[in-house]
Amino acid sequence: MQASRARLFKEYKEVQREKAADPDIQLVCDDSNIFKWTALIKGPSETPYEGGVFQLAFAVPEQYPLQPPQVRFLTKIFHPNVHFKTGEICLDILKNAWSPAWTLQSVCRAIIALMAHPEPDSPLNCDSGNLLRSGDVRGYQSMARMYTRLAAMPKKG
Amino acid sequence: MNQEGGANQSGSCSGEKESNPCPICLGPMVQESYLDTCFHKFCYNCIVRWSKVVSGKRSRPSSSLACPLCKKENFSVISGFDGTCFQRHYVDHNFEDRFTFSKAHKYRLQCYYSEPGILNDIFDVLRFWKSRKYLQSNMWLQSWLKRELQALMQEEDVDIVVYHIHGVIESFLRRIEQTRLKKSAEAIQEDFKITVSDAAKPFLLARTDRFVTELELFLASGLNIEAYDAVYMQRLGWNTPGGTNGTRPAEEPIQHVEVVPYWYIVDADSDEDG
Repeated sequence: MQASRARLFKEYKEVQREKAADPDIQLVCDDSNIFKWTALIKGPSETPYEGGVFQLAFAVPEQYPLQPPQVRFLTKIFHPNVHFKTGEICLDILKNAWSPAWTLQSVCRAIIALMAHPEPDSPLNCDSGNLLRSGDVRGYQSMARMYTRLAAMPKKG
Repeated sequence: MNQEGGANQSGSCSGEKESNPCPICLGPMVQESYLDTCFHKFCYNCIVRWSKVVSGKRSRPSSSLACPLCKKENFSVISGFDGTCFQRHYVDHNFEDRFTFSKAHKYRLQCYYSEPGILNDIFDVLRFWKSRKYLQSNMWLQSWLKRELQALMQEEDVDIVVYHIHGVIESFLRRIEQTRLKKSAEAIQEDFKITVSDAAKPFLLARTDRFVTELELFLASGLNIEAYDAVYMQRLGWNTPGGTNGTRPAEEPIQHVEVVPYWYIVDADSDEDG
């Protein structure tokens, strides 16, 4: 309990200090609760998510960093490894492959990498996974781009 | 997160701690510990806690732990640079009921951190082989082996290994009784070293060669354990294992030229920060 607070505070200080270090990630801690964080991440370039900004919600357990944080997309996203309704993410480092050397910042980076490299063989969004598995890359990309426009970009005019 | 501090790890002094934090708590290293294969550093408590989490998740007990940084499999946690104590904890052992060291074990282990050969002028190893002193069996050998292996393996129950190595030594000595006429003392000594090394290597790893040297020295001394320890420690300039009570060895002013080991084993109950 005490250890998780101390560590989150360290991460908070690091985030404040290195704000400019990674322009694709903006991590914000809930003022009233150090166990609740929000992140804004930019969709990686040359993917259907390019130009979008996606919001993530972190719920950090008290055993952190011995247990991984729970992360989900708050922004709607069409991606094989993200549940379309709940925003739940299927990513090994958030489950079995978690290591306490990960930080909230590096988890964000891993999620950006997942956006660029979907794993259609362990889908949470079957429609999206099936498109990729059947080889319909263009179909997947246009769906993903459409949802990026709809949900992750500022409305025009 | 800047993790490029790996290059300047030379001093373990306080100044560098902030720039090279523990990857688990992100704070300064407390009781710096290493994993035995990849040598990544962590706080002792952090890595032990993590190892418990990992073993708790497994259905079968495992003897290895993947490093949180590089995923390399490691078998033990080595701690002690911070001067609290030198210990090696195997991942498959329960950290609570590990073997606790006696002072004699610490002294023996510390011997392995000093230059070999300091007793060579007192006990003549080659003469032991030449004059065939090995024909008299050494009745203290088994107890000596047990303590030595306990100290080196950091484990209490070493009976099987003692039995194994003792058996190898005895049968070797019995065998050369029959063939000694054909061989020089030097050749016999060489054979002995190879035979015992082969037997001990799986358990003692990098310390095997030194162990064989220490074993020869003990055999050549012809002394019992107490007398041998007394000679050894007098030469090292250390206190006798029973004589100290909480004070650190090798700190008392002594007339002899004191042998400084590479590594001090300090009692766990003494002050961490001095």
